[in-house]
Amino acid sequence: MADKNAQDVSAEVETTETQQPASKQKTNAFVAFWKNLGGKVKGVFGGWSNKSPRHVEADLVLNQQQQLSTGEKVKRALKAQSGWLFVAPALLLMLLFTFYPIVSAFINAFKQDLDLTGNYSGWGFDNFVHVFKGDTGTGGATFVQCLINTLVFTLVSVPLSTLIALLISVALNSIKAVQKAYQTILFLPYLTNSLAMGAVFATFFTLVNSGSGTNVGLINQFLGLFGIPPTDWMGIGAPVWELGDAVKIYWTKYLVVIIYEIWSGLPFKILILFSALQSVNKQYYDAARVDGAKRSTILWKITTPMIMPQISYLLVTGIMGGMKQYTAVVGLFGSKMGLQFEVGTMVGYVYQYIEGGSPKYGYAYAASLLLFAIIMVITFINNKITGKRSH
Amino acid sequence: MANKQIDDKQQNVTNPAPEQQPASAAETNFAPIGAALEEAPTQFDVERAIKRQKTLRIVKDVFVYIFLTICAVLAFLPFYWMVITSLKNEWEYRAITPTFFPTQGVVWKNYEIVLSSTDNSQNNFGQILVNTLVVGLLSTVIGVIITVITAYAFARMNFKGKNALFALMLATMMIPGEMYTISNYQMTRGWEWNNTYIVLILPFLVSVYYTYLLRNNFMQIPDSLYQAAKVDGLSDFGYLVKVMVPLTAPTLVSITLLKFIGTWNSYIWPRLINNDESWQMITNWVTGGFTDMNGVLYNGDVFQWISNTESLTTLRMAAVCMVSLPLFVLFIFCRKYIMRGVSKSGTKG
Repeated sequence: MADKNAQDVSAEVETTETQQPASKQKTNAFVAFWKNLGGKVKGVFGGWSNKSPRHVEADLVLNQQQQLSTGEKVKRALKAQSGWLFVAPALLLMLLFTFYPIVSAFINAFKQDLDLTGNYSGWGFDNFVHVFKGDTGTGGATFVQCLINTLVFTLVSVPLSTLIALLISVALNSIKAVQKAYQTILFLPYLTNSLAMGAVFATFFTLVNSGSGTNVGLINQFLGLFGIPPTDWMGIGAPVWELGDAVKIYWTKYLVVIIYEIWSGLPFKILILFSALQSVNKQYYDAARVDGAKRSTILWKITTPMIMPQISYLLVTGIMGGMKQYTAVVGLFGSKMGLQFEVGTMVGYVYQYIEGGSPKYGYAYAASLLLFAIIMVITFINNKITGKRSH
Repeated sequence: MANKQIDDKQQNVTNPAPEQQPASAAETNFAPIGAALEEAPTQFDVERAIKRQKTLRIVKDVFVYIFLTICAVLAFLPFYWMVITSLKNEWEYRAITPTFFPTQGVVWKNYEIVLSSTDNSQNNFGQILVNTLVVGLLSTVIGVIITVITAYAFARMNFKGKNALFALMLATMMIPGEMYTISNYQMTRGWEWNNTYIVLILPFLVSVYYTYLLRNNFMQIPDSLYQAAKVDGLSDFGYLVKVMVPLTAPTLVSITLLKFIGTWNSYIWPRLINNDESWQMITNWVTGGFTDMNGVLYNGDVFQWISNTESLTTLRMAAVCMVSLPLFVLFIFCRKYIMRGVSKSGTKG
C-alpha cells in the first residue's frame, strides 16, 4: 500500500517535468480541481481519511494518465517497469553463469562421451551407471567411498563441535573477569584460509625424517607422555579398516580431518551460541535456582532448550556446509586428497573428472547431480527433524 | 551492564544454600529442644556455610577458567606453531624433540626465499599478489555495486515479475555450486577465457545471499523517507546513493569485507580454469612446492638429508604466514563488521 503511494508521488514529480499542450493542461487542472474537491469531500466523510492531501493529489495525477497521449502512456509504463533496469546486470550475469549452467548440467549429465567442445556420442544413463558402479576417476576412490568419507566427517564433526561450542559459550557466559580476552582468542580461528591452516595442522600429525631418527610430530609427542606409541596418522603407514571390497576406512586420517573441522568450526558456533545465551531471560535461571536446580540441570533443562533454535540452525547449516567440504581436506592432504584419494570428499570426486589428462565431463555432471540429490535428501530430513522439534 | 547481571546470577547460582541456612538457623533458634543450639551455635553455622559456598564457587570458577584456558591455548596453538616454524631452520623443525621457540637462531631468510624466488614460476609471489589484488578489488567493487542496485530494486521498486524473479534467485541457493561450476568451466573454456582475469571475476559477481541480506536491510528504512526524497525531486538512483547507502553503511562494509575475503580464499575455481600458474591466486600459491631449489639455505647440507628438490615445511609455513597475515590484520581492525556480517550471513569468508 505504502509502496503504491510512493509510486504515485513519483508519477506526480514526473508530470510537472513533462511538457504538455497548454489546453490539455488547462483541462487537466479543471478536472483535477473537481476530483480534488471530491476527494476532499470524501476525506471529510472518512473514506480517504488515511491519505494526506499530497497522496490525494498524487492519485489525481494518476487519473490524468487517461488523458495522456499514447507515447506518454508507453513512457509511463516503461517508467513503472524501470526496476528491471536495476536488476538487469545481476539478471544477465545469473542467466549466463547460474541459470543456464544449472539447466545444462541436467541435460549434459545424460550425454555420453561429452567432450570440452560439446560433442557427444548419444544419450542415456551411462554416466550415472559408471559413477554408481564404482568408477574411480583419475583420483582412485569410488563415489561410495567419497560419500561415506563426507558423511563421517560431517556427522561426527558438526555435532561434536556444536557441543563443544555450547560448553565453551556457557563457560564464557558464566565468567566476568577477562571475558573479553578469552572471547577474542577463541574467535581467532574465525578468519582463516583453510588451505593455509590445513597445512599447519598437517605438520602436527606428519612423521618426518630427522636424519638421525623420526620426528613423530607434535600430537604423537603429546600422546607419548601417556605411554601411547606413535601412529602414522596421515602417511603410508596409517591403519585401515576394510569394509567390503571397495570401502576403506582410514580412521586416523578421518580423525585428522575431524579435529581440523572442529577447530575451524568452533568460532562461528561460539559466536552464535554466546550471543544467544546473552539474550536468554535471566528470570528463568532465577526461578530454577529458587527451586534448587543444579548447574548441570540448568544447562541441559533450561539453557539448551532456550537456545535450541540457534543450535538447530548451527546443526543444519553445518551439515549442509559439511556435505560440500573440499578445501579443508585439500589443505590437510594435498590436492590428491590422500595418497590415492582415500579421504576424498564428494565435491572432490566431482572435480577430479574435469582435471587431469582425460577429463570426463559427463561423469562430472552425473556425480554433481547425485551430490545435489543427496543434499536435497539431507535437507528434507533436517527439515523433518527440526520441524518436529519445534512443535 | 551484562557483566554485572552475570555477576549477580553467578552469586545466585552458587549460593542456593544461604537462603536455606537462615531458615534452618531460625528453626533452631525457636526449637523447644536447646541441645542442637548448644552443640552448634547459629552464628558459627552460617559463617561456615557461607565460607563453604565461597570455596565451592572459587573451585567451580577455577574449573571454568582452566577449561577456557585450555580451549584458548588450543585455539591459538596452530597460529603460534605456524609463526615459530616459519622462523626455524629445517634441521631444527625436523629434530626429534620439538622446540617451542627457534633456538638455533631466527631464520628470516625463509621469507626472503618464499617471496623472491622468481625463477620458480610456482613460487612467483609478486605476480600472484598482483593477480589476487586486481581480481579481489575489481570483483569486490563491482560485486558490491551490483548487489546494492539489485537489492534496491527488490526492496523499493515495483515492476512486473519482481517477486517471481526474487524467488527464482533465492531458489538457486539450494543448488550446490559444483553443479554450475562444471558447466561454467566447460562454457568459459569453450570461449577460451581460461588464463584471464575476467574468468576469475565475472562468474562470482552476483551474490544472491548478500542481495537478500541487503534487501532486508533496505526494507527496514521507513517509507516516509522515500516519499520525502521523491517530493524533494530525488530520482530513484539519487535516493539510493544519498539516503539508502549511508543508512545501511555497516551492512555494506560487512559485505565488502566478506566479499574480498572470499576472493582471497578462493581456491578451486582458479585452480581449475587458470591452469597456468601465473594466473592463479594466492591460495593456490600456498599449495606450491616451496623447495630450496637454488640451494640458498641448505646447499652442502652437512647431514645430507635435505635435498634441493624437497618440499620444505619451514618455507611452506612462511608462505602460510604471508597468506594469513592480511586476514589477521583485517580481523583485528574490522572485527565488529566481520563478526556481524558473518553472524548474519552464516557463511565463513
